[in-house]
Amino acid sequence: MTQQHAFPAEERTGTVLDQIIDGVREDLAERKKLVFLDDLKQKVTTVAAPRDAVAALRGPHPDSLEVIAEVKRSSPSKGELATITDPAVLAAAYERGGAAVVSVLTEARRFNGSLQDLDAVRAAVSIPVLRKDFTVDEYQIWEARAHGADLVLLIVAALDDDTLQRFLELTRSLGMEALVEAHTAEEIERAKNVGARIVGVNTRNLKTLEVDPDLFGRLAQLLPQDAVTVAESGVTSPDHVELYASHGADAVLTGEALVRAGDPMGTVSVFRSVGAAARAALRSEGEAAAQGHKWANAPGPYFGDFGGRWMPESLIAALDQVEETFEKSRADEEFLEDFRRLSRDYANRPSLLTEAKRFSEAAGCRVLLKREDLNHTGSHKINNVLGQALLAKRMGKTRLIAETGAGQHGVATATAAALMGMECVVYMGAEDTERQALNVARMELLGARVVAVQNGSRTLKDAINEALRDWVASVDTTHYLLGTAAGPHPFPAMVRWFHQAIGEEARAQCLAQVGRLPDAVAACVGGGSNAIGIFHGFLDDEDVALWGFEAGGDGIDTPRHAATISLGRPGVLHGAKTFLMQDEDGQTIESHSVSAGLDYPAVGPEHAYLSAAGRATYQAITDTEAMDAFRLLSRTEGIIPAIESSHALAGALKLGQNWSQELGEAAREKVVVVCLSGRGDKDVATAAKWFGLVDQDHEEIGQEAH
Amino acid sequence: MTVMQPTDLASRIIPQEALVPRESRLADRIQQCKAEGRPALIGYLPAGFPTVEESIEAAVELGNNGADIIEIGIPYSDPVMDGAVIQHATTTALGNGFRVADAFTVVQAIVTRTNSVPIVMTYWNPVMQRGVDRFAQELAEAGGAGIITPDLIPDEAADWFAASVKYGLDRIFLVAPSSTRERMEMTVQASSGFIYAVSVMGVTGARDSVSDAARSVVERTRAAGGTNVCVGLGVSKRAHVEEIGAYADGVIVGTALVKALADGGPRAVGELAAELAGRN
Repeated sequence: MTQQHAFPAEERTGTVLDQIIDGVREDLAERKKLVFLDDLKQKVTTVAAPRDAVAALRGPHPDSLEVIAEVKRSSPSKGELATITDPAVLAAAYERGGAAVVSVLTEARRFNGSLQDLDAVRAAVSIPVLRKDFTVDEYQIWEARAHGADLVLLIVAALDDDTLQRFLELTRSLGMEALVEAHTAEEIERAKNVGARIVGVNTRNLKTLEVDPDLFGRLAQLLPQDAVTVAESGVTSPDHVELYASHGADAVLTGEALVRAGDPMGTVSVFRSVGAAARAALRSEGEAAAQGHKWANAPGPYFGDFGGRWMPESLIAALDQVEETFEKSRADEEFLEDFRRLSRDYANRPSLLTEAKRFSEAAGCRVLLKREDLNHTGSHKINNVLGQALLAKRMGKTRLIAETGAGQHGVATATAAALMGMECVVYMGAEDTERQALNVARMELLGARVVAVQNGSRTLKDAINEALRDWVASVDTTHYLLGTAAGPHPFPAMVRWFHQAIGEEARAQCLAQVGRLPDAVAACVGGGSNAIGIFHGFLDDEDVALWGFEAGGDGIDTPRHAATISLGRPGVLHGAKTFLMQDEDGQTIESHSVSAGLDYPAVGPEHAYLSAAGRATYQAITDTEAMDAFRLLSRTEGIIPAIESSHALAGALKLGQNWSQELGEAAREKVVVVCLSGRGDKDVATAAKWFGLVDQDHEEIGQEAH
Repeated sequence: MTVMQPTDLASRIIPQEALVPRESRLADRIQQCKAEGRPALIGYLPAGFPTVEESIEAAVELGNNGADIIEIGIPYSDPVMDGAVIQHATTTALGNGFRVADAFTVVQAIVTRTNSVPIVMTYWNPVMQRGVDRFAQELAEAGGAGIITPDLIPDEAADWFAASVKYGLDRIFLVAPSSTRERMEMTVQASSGFIYAVSVMGVTGARDSVSDAARSVVERTRAAGGTNVCVGLGVSKRAHVEEIGAYADGVIVGTALVKALADGGPRAVGELAAELAGRN
């Protein structure tokens, strides 16, 4: 037997790898008798040219995390994994799910694979295919190419340096590339020395079969900068993908998790999203350390000339306490884990990113919806509420108070209070308790007391005034759970922080699903919490246009609107310096909108800053435009949006129109991500009246909840 | 030479020129009351309630029946520190067409027709919109002595420090039971004329008894270096004035006067003022 590897026999004796390789050699000897090497070489000239696996694994964007999805029938560590009746069908599902490469195990004895499986997969997919076997002979490399593979596996532990070099050269001479697999620092060094372009770290010790997921992180610093890096083994859940990606892995190789989940396509997609988010976070940490200005680095209290703490002295101590608790908690792993757990297991994060295909046809561009409407309680508001309620607990507060406009934040706060056993009082403008009767009933069912505020314009701003008056008198026991990214420091920065998952997820999901960042992000802006949450994921992607859509009410040429940034001037209200709707004397002007949630005459100070600095653009959408978009989404996608979110949808329709005028047919390739901040169940009465679906005098729909 | 970064709160926030001692009509009046062995009586009324003319008459009644200092409130659309009575009054004033410039008319009338020192109490946005410098100039020209700023803390008051120094106005900031020692010291240094000690954690409104917190907040303010400390929130009777007057330099009455005006007109304001001043 000619030795292809140079390791002394005593080092190899008895390990699983050695046993497998012995079997591989025996089977190889049989195949060599049936198909001569010259015949393979002949066949290589007839198969289609190899595909560029390095590019596929790098992905379309620096933050992309790619998946090598494996067809594996069984394994030495776990035995038979899943009955794969048709490798071709499985591989096609992987490709549809967005896998970059399909890996096919061809080892027969332990993995139950075959070259027939390789042939079947090759015929079924158009992405690169990895022939995964224990390569110990040049014959296997010719064989791989003859069967249409684009990639082969070279395990450093099984080969000496010269052999490794020779095999790699042969692989490349056939137009293929090799996944060079290492397990130790020393093996990585050897992979580097032979010029590997794709380096895998197998976290399974092939000699003992044990998996050590932390191995990748420990070795990550040693991996060659210019090579594609792949984490192999132990990729059984999104958490593992996140772990590997957060250490810079460009790709993960996984099979078992995809097959076992019963949803190979969906699982590939989830892995890519989670991975892209982790890679983006890693990159932004690196950049933050390396350079100065970053839009996303906005801790408050000031955002440019805006923000601050224009508040009575009586509340300063409480604000200091909130700030201090927040700053400590965001660096406290236990708090972060509590928040992540609630977000995932209670609120249903991450939320989906849904491509709205029929709506897109009408829009003239690709519209993707960030589905905050699918969160528990039906809007993005739950993110902030869970975070602040956890903080309130930490501060020893037993009572939560909140303001609400549309009722979404009130419902979310009542929900968190019920969940955490806290008392809850929600202040709501009397006008809003009438138009959002259903949400009033929901809050009361959840055990909250709803106070209808009769002062001033009887809407959101007056509810905030009343909540502040309560807080001044109750601050020892009470946390004011402000519902939008406005108010005095630390609220704007803190509320945004609790909502940043919206943008982080959307960015990663867009990379995974579309393969690139969107051209624009659109969100509705009242106080602006959902908008600032989604914007933050994209602030430092300067090519992504950020659009905030304000409530234009009857039109900004009429006095009845809530277009604060479009028409307001800087001033102070509710603790922050920001754009306000105000008269010459600085008296707040009452705002008007069909949407209770946008009916607010100020806006979060960070939006004021992003507008003044030109990073985001704000435009008004009239009630009519919003309601038309409301109906269009309902009828094209089967999704009834909140009227607030319908302003963002109407904005996306405008973007589509503008692109169509500018670019013609090419506009259809433009991508806009819309934050669908809430669902429209609460708005059914308003919409039914608007569209004349009920008798004008017959208001039972609106009243039935009382 | 190394430039030392100021480390304590006060030196970070307060500009040097605001620390220079200067003449203050407010401080003088409070000193004069102290010399007479009594607390200063400070009365609040909103400008323009129920109309500008009646608010002038009420202020004159107040000044001529024992108020040493008169706070003229500027009605504002979003008065987060005010309880129901004052909210109702200021909303009425706005409904009757009150404009910010009317406040200067009321101040001027107090100067002309009474012996009281007039000051203004206002939420900050109306000042910011008029322009801090312009507002200060107009107030000084009308004869006003300073501004009480319920929602402006020294931390945000850079423009106000400059304008108040320029026009010789007093800055009356608030301290509260919840203020830390460090913030009390800073606020005391930032203030001039007197320091407004909030007696309770809550909004304006008459209360049957004045909380124990009042004495404690005054003592803490004095410990922080405050010389003229006046107490507000919840004061409605002569008994309160006497009780608070035992430890504070001035007593501030608001809601009770506004209620008297609403119920009995300017004459009722005069009667209550005389009672609070111990004149009947």
